[in-house]
Amino acid sequence: MLNYMRGEIYRILRKKNLYIYFGAFALGYILLVFIRSAGEFSEQNLLADAENLFVFLPAVIGGYLFTALYTDDLHSKNLTALIGCGMGKAKIVLSKLLLMALFGALLFGLVPLLMDAVYAMFGAPASAAVLKAVYIWALKSLLTMFAYAALSGIVVYGVQRATVAVVLYLLLALGIVSQLLGLLFSWDFVASIAPNLADHLMSGISVRIVFSLLGSGSGTSAWIEYAIYVAASAVLSVVAFHKKELEF
Amino acid sequence: MSEALLQTRGLTKKYGETTALNQVSLTLRQGDIYGLVGRNGAGKTTFFKCVMGLAQATAGEIEIGGEKSSLNTARRKIGFMINASSFSYLNPRQNLNYLCRAKGIRPQNEVDRLLRLVQLDGVKKPFKAFSMGMKQRLGIAGALLGSPLIVVLDEPINGLDPQGIADIRAVIQRENQEHGTTFIVSSHILSELDLVATRFGFIEQGCLLQEITHTALHERTQKSLVVEVNDPAKALELLRTQLGITGAATDGRSLLLESHFDRPQEIARVLVSAGVELFRLAPQETTLEEYFMRLVGGRDA
Repeated sequence: MLNYMRGEIYRILRKKNLYIYFGAFALGYILLVFIRSAGEFSEQNLLADAENLFVFLPAVIGGYLFTALYTDDLHSKNLTALIGCGMGKAKIVLSKLLLMALFGALLFGLVPLLMDAVYAMFGAPASAAVLKAVYIWALKSLLTMFAYAALSGIVVYGVQRATVAVVLYLLLALGIVSQLLGLLFSWDFVASIAPNLADHLMSGISVRIVFSLLGSGSGTSAWIEYAIYVAASAVLSVVAFHKKELEF
Repeated sequence: MSEALLQTRGLTKKYGETTALNQVSLTLRQGDIYGLVGRNGAGKTTFFKCVMGLAQATAGEIEIGGEKSSLNTARRKIGFMINASSFSYLNPRQNLNYLCRAKGIRPQNEVDRLLRLVQLDGVKKPFKAFSMGMKQRLGIAGALLGSPLIVVLDEPINGLDPQGIADIRAVIQRENQEHGTTFIVSSHILSELDLVATRFGFIEQGCLLQEITHTALHERTQKSLVVEVNDPAKALELLRTQLGITGAATDGRSLLLESHFDRPQEIARVLVSAGVELFRLAPQETTLEEYFMRLVGGRDA
C-alpha cells in the first residue's frame, strides 16, 4: 500500500497542470484581493475573505485533487493494471483516501499562509488569533472536501465513469446537493417524521465541528457522525469495487 | 516437459444466461510463447480477466506458479498489457517509474533496460502524443517490468502497421530467448501469431477447442492431395486395397489425402482403370486460417 502511495505521489507531482492550476489560483487570489480591497487592508477583510473563499475551495482545490487522484486512474486504465498484478481493492480505496487527506491537508494548509502573505504584502499581516480563525475555516473546508471525495469514490468504483464521478463531486462540493436535501428536509411532512435532519448533512456536521473548535459547544457527536460518513463511504466503495467488473 | 506456470481447470464464466467461458482447461508451460487464438468475442479477454482477477470466475480452478489459494499474491508474478493505456501526461520513463514505485519494483535500472528493449529510450514526449505502435511498446515494457514469470499480452498487435507488428514480435522473441520469459499472447490474427508462438490454443464461443504445438500445427496444415471423383466410396476402397492408402477424409465428391501427394499418377491410373470418373486431382495446402476455420466450423450460432 505504501508503494502504491509512493507511486501516486510521484505521478501527481509530475502533473504539469498541477503547478499551472494552483499558480493561476494564487495569482487570481492576489488580483481579487487587490481589486476588492480598494486600498484598505485589514484583519477583518482577511477574515471575511477566508469565510467567502473557503466556501468554494472544496470545489476548486478538491475538484482538482479528486480528478487527479481518482479519475486519472479510470482514463489510464491504471486500476486494471494494479488489480491484475495482485493489488487488493480495499488497499486501493484506502490509499486513495489517505492521499486525498494528505494532498488536501497540504494545500488547505498552504492557503491560509498565502492569504496571510498577501495581506502582509499590502501591510496588514494577520495576528495569531485571526490566523487561527482562518485555519479553522480551512479545516472545515478540508473536512467537507474529504468527505465528499469519499462519497464520490463510491461512484468512481461502482460506476467507473469519470464524468459521472466528477459531476457528483462538484454537485456535493458546491453545496447543491446539500441545498436540495435541506429544502426536502424542511418540508413539514419530513420534518414531522425526522426533525433537524439537515444538521446531519455534511454541511451541518462541518458547521458543528467549526463551532466546537471556536469554543461554542461540544463537537464529539459531530466528529463521530463525520467518521461514520467517511467509514461508511469507504466500506461502500470497497463493496462497489468488488461488485463492478473492471472494463478492459 | 517444462513446469506448468499457469493452469486453468474447467474455468467457466457466465454473464446471466450467456456463457462467456465454458470449461476452459489451459496449460501454460515455462518458456512458452502461447498464442491464444480466437475470433472477436470468442472469450480471450474474458479468460484473461478471470486469470488476472478482474472478473470472478463462475466455476473452475486457476493455478498460478503452483499457487491455487493465494491468487492475489501469485498474480504479482504476472505482468500484463491490456489496451496499452498509461497516464497521458507522463513520458515513457515517468510511466515506468510510476509502475516501479507502485509495484515496489527495484532496482530502477530495469527501466533503462526496458526502454532500450522497446526502443523508447530518449523519448521525452508524453504518452498522449504517442503513435499506436509506441503505446503498445510501452505497454509491453510495463508488462515486463520486474521480470515477471508470465507476461500476458491481450491483442498487442491490434491496429498496428506492419513495422509496428514486426517490432512487437521482435520484443517478444528477444525477451523469451534471452530471459526465458513465458508469454501468453491473444490475437485473432493467426498468421502473425504463427511467426512467434511455440504453442497455440484455439478458443471459440468460450470453449478451448484445441491446444497444439507449433510443429504439430504445421504438420496438420501441410500439403494434401484433393481427388474429386464420381464415386468416393469406391475410390476409397480402391486406394486402400490397391495402394494401401488409408485415412483419407471425404468431403462430398472429394477425397482429401494428407499424405501420398507424391503419387498422383499412380492414384489416377488405379482409379481410371477401375472405371471411376476422375474430375480433379490436385495438390492443396491448407493455410493456418483455413485450419482454424475448419476447427471452429459448425460452431457458429
